[in-house]
Amino acid sequence: MRWRHKDLLDLDNLSAQEIELVLQSALSMKEVLFRPIKKLPTLRGKSIALMFYENSTRTRTSFETAAKILGADVTNFSVAQSSVNKGESLLDTAKTLQAMNIDLVIIRHACSGASEFLAKQLKAGVINGGDGQHAHPTQALLDFFTMKERWGEFKGKKVLIVGDILHSRVAHSNALGLKKLGAEVVLIGPPTLLPPEMSYLGVKTSYDLDSELPGADAVMALRLQLERQQSGLFPSLREYNRLYGLTREKIAKTGKDTIILHPGPLNRGVEISSDLADSVQSVIEEQVTNGVAVRMALIYLLIGGTSNVMA
Amino acid sequence: MLWLKNVHLVDPGQGISDKASLLIKDGKVAKVCRGEKQLTEEEVLATLGVSELKEVSQVDGEGKFLFPGLVDVHVHFREPGQEDKEDINSGSRAAVRGGFTSVLAMANTQPVIDTRALVEFVRLQGERAGLARVYPVGAVTKGFQGRELTEMVDLQKGGAVAFSDDGLGIQSAETMRLALEYAKLTGCPLISHCEDNSLAGQGVMRKGEASARLGLKGIPASAESVMVARDALLAGETGGKVHIAHVSTKESVWIIRTAKKLGINISAEVNPHHLLLTDEDVQLTDTSYKVNPPLPNREDQEALLEGLLDGTLDMLATDHAPHTWEEKMRPFAEAPFGINGLEAALAALWQELVLKGKMKPEKLIELWSLNPAKRFALQGGSLKAGSPADMVLFDPKWREKITAESLESKAQNTPFLEKELQGFPIMVWVEGKLVMENRKIVGKK
Amino acid sequence: MTKRIPKHKIMDADGIRRAINRISHEIVEKNKGTENLVLIGIRTRGVPLAERIQARILDFENVKLPLGLLDITLYRDDLSMIDVQPVIHETKVPFSIEGKTVILVDDVLYTGRTVRAALDALIDLGRPQKIQLAVLIDRGHRELPIRADYVGKNIPTSSREIISVCLSEIDNSEEVLLLE
Repeated sequence: MRWRHKDLLDLDNLSAQEIELVLQSALSMKEVLFRPIKKLPTLRGKSIALMFYENSTRTRTSFETAAKILGADVTNFSVAQSSVNKGESLLDTAKTLQAMNIDLVIIRHACSGASEFLAKQLKAGVINGGDGQHAHPTQALLDFFTMKERWGEFKGKKVLIVGDILHSRVAHSNALGLKKLGAEVVLIGPPTLLPPEMSYLGVKTSYDLDSELPGADAVMALRLQLERQQSGLFPSLREYNRLYGLTREKIAKTGKDTIILHPGPLNRGVEISSDLADSVQSVIEEQVTNGVAVRMALIYLLIGGTSNVMA
Repeated sequence: MLWLKNVHLVDPGQGISDKASLLIKDGKVAKVCRGEKQLTEEEVLATLGVSELKEVSQVDGEGKFLFPGLVDVHVHFREPGQEDKEDINSGSRAAVRGGFTSVLAMANTQPVIDTRALVEFVRLQGERAGLARVYPVGAVTKGFQGRELTEMVDLQKGGAVAFSDDGLGIQSAETMRLALEYAKLTGCPLISHCEDNSLAGQGVMRKGEASARLGLKGIPASAESVMVARDALLAGETGGKVHIAHVSTKESVWIIRTAKKLGINISAEVNPHHLLLTDEDVQLTDTSYKVNPPLPNREDQEALLEGLLDGTLDMLATDHAPHTWEEKMRPFAEAPFGINGLEAALAALWQELVLKGKMKPEKLIELWSLNPAKRFALQGGSLKAGSPADMVLFDPKWREKITAESLESKAQNTPFLEKELQGFPIMVWVEGKLVMENRKIVGKK
Repeated sequence: MTKRIPKHKIMDADGIRRAINRISHEIVEKNKGTENLVLIGIRTRGVPLAERIQARILDFENVKLPLGLLDITLYRDDLSMIDVQPVIHETKVPFSIEGKTVILVDDVLYTGRTVRAALDALIDLGRPQKIQLAVLIDRGHRELPIRADYVGKNIPTSSREIISVCLSEIDNSEEVLLLE
C-alpha cells in the first residue's frame, strides 16, 4: 500500500486500505508520544504553516504538537495578525505561502471547499483541518483510530452519531469513512438538524435515539452550537437534552460495553452528561491523544517522502 | 441594401420555416420570398429601387439559418457603477456576438436605475455603443429598498420598457401589490425576481443531496416558488402584468400553468443554464456554477423544458451576470452569484436541445425572439416585410471553443469556458446594419 | 524493478544456523555473561535474527534476554530523496534501555546508514551504557565510521551486487543469496 495523495481534503478519495494505512502509521506514532524524549528528526527542515480562519485551540494545538514532534518547523499563520483582516484574498494568501516554499499547509476555514481551493493553487500539500459544513477528515480518522484500538476491526460494529448532523462536518466525514470500513452507522437527530438530503451519505437515519441504542458499540455525541436555538432549529436545551442528550441511563440500554466519543469541546449537560463524559466508557481523552498520533501519521505520509515543493 | 439568398428562414411570427430570400432596404425588410423559387434580378432591382446590382450587397446563406434577432429580456450590464465587471459597450458587443439584437438591461447597477436621468443614461450609452438595442429596465422601488415606488411613468418616458428590482426579491407583499397596481399606468410588465429571503437565508446552491455532499448551505426550492405563487395571486387580484424572471423549480411551473388557466396576466422566462446544468454539476472550486436562482435538480429541469414546450413558460433569457475573475476566484460561499451568458447561451441550447431533438429550431426562435418582443412590446421578433431588419445568420455547423480571449464580455464566469460548442451566429444585423461578421464585431471597439 | 539474477548462494540454512550459534556465544563471552544485556532487532529481518539469538542464549545460559523491535524509518536520512515512501511500523521496546548493554541486530551491514539511524532512534529511547552491533552479513562499502562487533560472515561485494537474506519467519526460504 502506497500513499499517493498530495493533500488530505476529505475521505471521499481514500480507500478503506488507505484509511487502514493511516491508522497503522498512527499506531507507530502513538508509541513516540509515550517516550521520555518526544522528538523525531524525520521532518527536519520541513516547514508547515497553520492557517486557522476559525478559532479552534484544540485542533490547532494538536496539529502543532504533531508537527513539532516530527521535527518540522511550524509557522502559525495567525489570522488575527495577518493581512487577512485587511481583506487579502485566500488566493493571494496561497501565493504568498507558495513563494515561501512552505511544504505543507493546514487550513481550517468557515467556507466549504476552502482547503480544496488552496490545494489547487499550491504545489505544497494541504490538510483540511475542517472546512465549513463539508469535511473534517483528521477528526474522523482519529475517531476511527480510537475505535480500532478498542475493537481491532469495524465489521459488524454499530456506531450511532447523535446531534446536529446538518451542520457537522465531523458527522459527514465519520459516516463516509465508517461506511467504507464496514461499520454500520446510524445518524440521529431532530428533523431540523437531520434533513432528508443527508440520504446522500447512504447510511440509516433516525429521529429516535432510544430505539437505536440497543446493540450500539459506539455512540458519538456531536457538539451542539447553542446559537442554533436562536435560529429556531430546536426549541430549547431542555427538550434537546431529553431527546438526544447522552446519559449513563440511556447508554445502559445498549446492552454492551459501548464506548462514548465526542469531538470536543463538550457542552456538559447538553449533548452529554458530565458523569458519562467522565466515566470509564468515555474515550474522549484518548481521542485527544490519538489525534496527535493520527495527525503525525498524516503529516508524515504527506511530506515525509519526496518534497512536493521541489518536485 | 442587402440581398440575402438561399437561407433557411425560421420566423414563427410569419409561420415560416423554409428556404427563403430577403431584401433589406433602409433598415427594414423590403421583401420576403419564400420557397425554392429565386428572386430574379429584375425583381430585386425593382424592389430596392436601384438600377444596378452592384449597389446591392449579396449574402449567400446556403446551409445557414436566418433568425429574427434574438431578444434577451434579462441582462446585467453593470453600468453605471461596476464597469470592472461589464459596461454597456462590452455588454452590447457580447450581445450581438451571441446573436442578440435587443436586450433589457436590469436596474441593479450602482446607483440603481430609479430616476429618469439614469434610465436615459442607460439608453444613451446603448445608442453610443451602436450595436444591440439596449432597453433600460427601471427599478420598482427607490434605491431597491423595497418600500417607496419609483416614478414609473417618468421612467417609461425616459425609455424604460419594464420595471424590476431584479437582483433582490421584493419582500413585502404589500409593496408588490401596490407596484402591480401602479404599473398599470404604464402598461409595462413588472419583472419579478422571486426569492423569499427568509427561506433562501445564507444558501449558496439548491438544497438537496448535492448541497449536503458539498457541505454548502442550501436554498430550498420553496424560496422561489412561494413568491411565484404570491405574485401570481397579486397579479390576479390587481389585474397587473407580471413577468417571472428565471423560473427554476417545477413548483413554479405548476403555479404559472394554473395562473394562466385562471386568466392571470403572467409570463415567465427560463435561463439556459437552468435547462442545461443541475445541482449535481456544482463543484466546490468552480464558482462559475454559482448562480441565483441556483442550479435545479433533474426533475425541475424536466418540468422547465416541458413548460417551455407547452407554452406555460413564454421565453428564454440569459440572465447574463458578469463578474470579475477576482470576485469569482474565492471559496464558493464567498463568491458572487451569476453566470456570464450572452456569448455561449444560444450555442449551448442549440447543441443540447435542438441537435438532440428536444426542441425544434422554430420553437427556440419563438421563445427567444417572437415571444419576448411581444410581451415587452419591442420592435423585432419577426422579419415580416416592413419590420426592422434585426437578423441573425446562424451556422448550425460552426464549432467553437469558448475561451477567455474570445469573449467580448469583460467577464469569463461561464461554466462553458474551455468547452467546445456547436451552432453559432456568423452574421448579425441590427436595423439593417451589419454589426457582427465571422464571429467578429464590425466597427470600432 | 528489474529482476535480479541469483549469482550464487552464500549461505544455506545450516550456515545461517551455525553463524547465529557462534554470534550468540560471542555475545555472552564478550560481555562476560548475560547480565544487563538486551537485544533489539532492526525491522524487518533483524527481528527474527534477534529472536534466534534470544533462543540460543536461553538454550545455553538459561536466561531469556529482553527483546525489542526497532523501526528506523522515521530516522532515515534519505526520506526526502527516495521515491517510494516507506511504510512505518511500530517500534516496540517494552523495557527501559537506561544503563543497559544493547545488542543491536540486523541482517546486512552495508553503508552503515541504517545503523546510524538505529543509533539515533535508540538514544531517543534512553541512555544505554553500551551499544554493540551484531549482523549476519558484512558486505563492506561503509559510508560512515561504523563497524560490527559480531559478524556472521564477511562477503566482499561490488556495489552493483545485492545481498538477499531470506529467513523462514518472513520469506519462503532460509538462505543468503548474492544477486546481480
